[in-house]
Amino acid sequence: MLSPPLSRRRFIQALSSATALTACTWLARSPKAAPQASAYTPTFFTPEEWRFLHAACDRLIPEDANGPGAVELGVPEFIDRQMATPYAHGALWYMQAPHVAGPANLGYQLPYTPRDIYRRGIAGARKLARQTHNAEFADLDADTRDSVLTVLETGDLQFDDLPASTFFGHLLGNTQEGAFSDPIHGGNKGLGGWAMTGFPGARADFMDWVDQYGRQYPLGSVSISGETI
Amino acid sequence: MMTNRKKIPVRNPVFQTLMLRKKTYLLAIPGAVFALSFAGSATAGDNASIAKRGEYLARASDCAACHTVSGHAQFSGGVPFALPFGTIFSSNITPDRDHGTGRYTEAQFGRAIREGVRADGSPLYPAMPYPSYARMTDADIHALYIYFTTAVTPSSEIPPVNTTAWPLSIRWPLRIWQAFFVPKSDQAKKSTERFPDDAVMARGAYLVEGPGHCGACHTPRAATLQEKSLTAQESPLFLSGGSAVDGWTPTSLRGENRTGLGRWSETDIVSFLRNGRVAHGSVFGGMSGAVGHGTQYLDDSDLHAIARFLKSLPAYDKDQIPWHYDASEAQALRNGDTSAPGARLYVDRCAACHRTDGAAYPTTFPPLAGNPVVMNPAPDSLIQIVLAGSTIPAMRASPSAFVMPGFGKTMTDEQIAEVVSFIRASWGNNTAPVSPTDVARLRKSLSTATPVTPTPLN
Amino acid sequence: MATITRKSVDVVIVGGGWAGSIMAKELTEAGQHVVMLERGGERSTASDGAYPGSLDELEGNFRFKIFQKLSKTTVTVRNNINQTALPYRQLAAFLPGEGVGGAGLHWSGVHLRMAPDDLTLRSTVISKYGKSFIPEGMNLQDYGVTYAELEPYFDKAEKVFGTSGEAYKVQGKIVGNGNAFAPDRSDDFPLPPLKDVTGAHLFRKAAAEAGYHPYSIPAANASRQYTNPYGAQMGPCNFCGYCSGYACYMYSKASPNVNILPALRKNPLFELRSNATVLHVTLDSTKSRATGVIYLDEKGDEIIQPAELVILAAFQFNNVHLMLVSGIGKPYDPVSNTGVVGRNFVYQNISTTTAWLDPSVYTSQFIGTGGGGVAFDDFNSENFDHGPQGFIGGSPVWVNQAGVKAIAAAKAGGPPGTPRWGSAWKSGMIDTYKHAVRMDAHGSNMAYRDVFLDLDPTWKDAFGRPLLRMTFDWKDNDIRMNRYVVSKIANVTKAMGARRTHLGMKEFGQPFDTRFYQTTHLGGGAVMGNDPQTSAINRYLQCWDVSNVFVIGSNAFPQGTGYNPTGMVAALAYWSAHHIRTTYLKNPGPLVPA
Repeated sequence: MLSPPLSRRRFIQALSSATALTACTWLARSPKAAPQASAYTPTFFTPEEWRFLHAACDRLIPEDANGPGAVELGVPEFIDRQMATPYAHGALWYMQAPHVAGPANLGYQLPYTPRDIYRRGIAGARKLARQTHNAEFADLDADTRDSVLTVLETGDLQFDDLPASTFFGHLLGNTQEGAFSDPIHGGNKGLGGWAMTGFPGARADFMDWVDQYGRQYPLGSVSISGETI
Repeated sequence: MMTNRKKIPVRNPVFQTLMLRKKTYLLAIPGAVFALSFAGSATAGDNASIAKRGEYLARASDCAACHTVSGHAQFSGGVPFALPFGTIFSSNITPDRDHGTGRYTEAQFGRAIREGVRADGSPLYPAMPYPSYARMTDADIHALYIYFTTAVTPSSEIPPVNTTAWPLSIRWPLRIWQAFFVPKSDQAKKSTERFPDDAVMARGAYLVEGPGHCGACHTPRAATLQEKSLTAQESPLFLSGGSAVDGWTPTSLRGENRTGLGRWSETDIVSFLRNGRVAHGSVFGGMSGAVGHGTQYLDDSDLHAIARFLKSLPAYDKDQIPWHYDASEAQALRNGDTSAPGARLYVDRCAACHRTDGAAYPTTFPPLAGNPVVMNPAPDSLIQIVLAGSTIPAMRASPSAFVMPGFGKTMTDEQIAEVVSFIRASWGNNTAPVSPTDVARLRKSLSTATPVTPTPLN
Repeated sequence: MATITRKSVDVVIVGGGWAGSIMAKELTEAGQHVVMLERGGERSTASDGAYPGSLDELEGNFRFKIFQKLSKTTVTVRNNINQTALPYRQLAAFLPGEGVGGAGLHWSGVHLRMAPDDLTLRSTVISKYGKSFIPEGMNLQDYGVTYAELEPYFDKAEKVFGTSGEAYKVQGKIVGNGNAFAPDRSDDFPLPPLKDVTGAHLFRKAAAEAGYHPYSIPAANASRQYTNPYGAQMGPCNFCGYCSGYACYMYSKASPNVNILPALRKNPLFELRSNATVLHVTLDSTKSRATGVIYLDEKGDEIIQPAELVILAAFQFNNVHLMLVSGIGKPYDPVSNTGVVGRNFVYQNISTTTAWLDPSVYTSQFIGTGGGGVAFDDFNSENFDHGPQGFIGGSPVWVNQAGVKAIAAAKAGGPPGTPRWGSAWKSGMIDTYKHAVRMDAHGSNMAYRDVFLDLDPTWKDAFGRPLLRMTFDWKDNDIRMNRYVVSKIANVTKAMGARRTHLGMKEFGQPFDTRFYQTTHLGGGAVMGNDPQTSAINRYLQCWDVSNVFVIGSNAFPQGTGYNPTGMVAALAYWSAHHIRTTYLKNPGPLVPA
């Protein structure tokens, strides 16, 4: 229901290899600093937000011996595309007022949609980086970005009435979704997220494998559109 | 008031069959019953019961397939037949006196059905299978006539005008064709008397060769378009597999081991005609309608008669090496070896339902191993199903419908050729590969040939 | 927005899930003209379960494609009577369905019968341990119906669902290697058990070594192709793992859509109206007779639908909500402990244990089937002596690997103590996904005087009705039960040769948390029983106060059990339908004198 028209999908597929290549080259050249934005042009995020998103995703799922990172997997593009969906407009949530604060275990009670959370959260996080490190978050080295992200994750920081940890939770959740969902949504480029975890994707048939006990499943992954590894 | 017709998509023009390109429809008639009620002046009560049988007959015979368009009045015509020289449309056969067949006498009605001649004396295009209907008994014609004149609602809908251009719109040359290729009704009826000691075979032959007109699709046609044989008596070419109809390539209904009904039992055939699905395979293409509108309504004895008769037809192609299952491909796939061309595509897109061993899960999902449709020398049906998908429709006795998605949008001609060739080669099927050109040809024709079926709700 | 009165019908059914479809099938068979109203849209395998497009974890499990749209309506939740309940704004802890098929389309498929002792739990506990064994504030009750009475209907439901399983005892004779604690059956399962996945296979061996009695979980996921008594056909489960949250593309997970509606839709006595949101049941001036329902159709018109008989077959809490907003039955008051509608609201007490196996062993968690797996019942129901333990209730333990997909694996992460992100998370997550086995203790939750449902004073749904309010928290009795049962799993993971085990236990004092999925097995709130002072509906699921309203669903459970509710809900539907057909329709009125 949220899949883009075919022409757009093909366009994006064509772009994906270019994106991956750019990211790889860049990482090889300068492994410590934040990667640059991919060839995809965001429709929701501003250029500065877009740089933040790359720099943050890059640390949440870094490229390492276990496989590609969030940037190589196209996660920023995934998140930007998600921002155009009903989910990002809060259409999946009960949004009726009054919005009353309560104990954490009773769940999210803010009036903000995911779009609002990103807008406010990124602004707050960038401000935090400037205040504590006198620099844009995206220009910080990897370790420093990790420390800022840790503050967002675990601290009691509030961006006005938005807890930094709420923003962090959304960012982390969406990053994981982007890295491991079907590439039809713009992330998991080259099925790299699935290759890393061994998830076969949309083949969805294990009749031959259910009782081959303990054996590593040998076949590569396939996506909804038929992309394979 | 005349109703404006919605534009109806024209089906794919297929050259070989010209105006005869139509699905197989089976007319089934409990003839013996009518023979009893035909004589004498019928009372209203008699007429009602005859009409009721006529209704059963018309439904079972699927007159609607050619004469009813969904969303329009029943039997008001307008089904398009695309021909190389234009499109013709089936007629309104409701009893409307001005726009239908309401002014037909029973004799004229019978002549139209059995001889292909309209009340005004002009010949009907042989899209109407009157060369087969020629065998129909007077009692059956009577029942149909009573049904159409007393129980069908008249409709003033006017089918679109044929777009055939002069001089091909001239009908008189059809008379010459008819003179050559349409049997005289009396002669035709004689051939139904050839099993004097076997009522079941007689009934089966009558249904198959006559009202059922199975040969319209399943018998090959000559260059002059007539069926090469109208009865089993004439030639072993009868029901030996037809030319493509709407992109579907009808299989042989004779005893070939690989490409015919050689490995089907009588019970399989009965069950197939009732449920549209058996262990050997499921309906698709034109046969979905033939079973859906037609054979599923036949009673047990008629279905058994058809099956018995079909099973009596020996193989036309006598040299087929019997199909034997070959497990080697299934073993390779179970070990994760997808090195054979097309194997990985098969595992990624087909095996979920059709299984790596090709046996699938009948009667929910039909098998590919040993399936006559798969081993048909003409690969058209198989390719078209992969391109466009297929639906096994719900039947009265089998309320579940099953949908296979089409892969035309996500797979290239080369990929489809590869996976279809894999299916034709594997599990003992040992049938020739297909080429991307074959796929491209069928892909081109899909836009108009694909029927719009409502999405099943199960 | 017009108000339109439709022609009166014999029966109107609210809700197009399992309960509604079963009632519709049964009552049309009895010649009744039935209209079924479903608030959501049409759903089918061909559209919602299309292959391969529907195999989309993001849409299915994280954007909740076939679940309830909270934007229109939800519930509010609080842990105790002194708190302000707040809206459940995002789907998380429980996931109700919406659309034709209801939760019966997105469920997993575990299809269990009720343990006989659980149906008579109050009597059983009192006879075994004495009345004082029941903790203060626990509203322990009997169902008012016995296993023997329900057995034919459990059997019927299994045949309709195409349930795969292995019996232990059929007609008094031991016939197979099924659950040794399971009661006698009149017939075997219609299909043999599903194959074990790796984790279940290892669990079966280890549980037996630890001295327990493992069995194949009965699953409404067909182990082979099947045709049910209605002629509806299923394909076999191929362990694709897209069960929970999906319309099974193989037609192998039982659903109303696949197993009942194909036959029902052919019946001219049956009419299904989708996108029809029932606002309330209409009552006559005596308030003891329903005259029909009022619903909003797709266009927003208000439709008055008169009916002789009203069946509430919506989801558990929606049934309770409809009773409350319609004024059927006396609302429960926890202070005076009077009233019945909203009383005995219960949940299910589930926690997950993880074992990490040798890295040479791949557990392929993506291979799965929603209802299948291996369980042992040694600590469920009254299968063990509760006397020394001092708690009521129990829990089966199982490997029920329903297919863990990549996003879920990422969000689950690594062993406790692993960071939630970065390279360490990656390693831990990948190791866990490839080599771990997850086991659940899927336990009962008892009913308590101060755990209940009522109407919220503040928040409203999109139709202007007050939201339903849940007052719910875990109680020590249930936490003790959970901790006791989970401690026993250590013996199993040891026998499995696990290199590491994390025993997932409930902690005392930890409140019910709406942010994390637990289970959608909500129950009670309009419970069945033989005493109109403590039950809202009688043993035939007929309202005590309004005899032409029947309420079918897990709302009828007086307290939770260790089992999944669907098998019991289906059996109760067939049981109730049987009594409507054989008794009520002949002489409409109360089937049990109040």
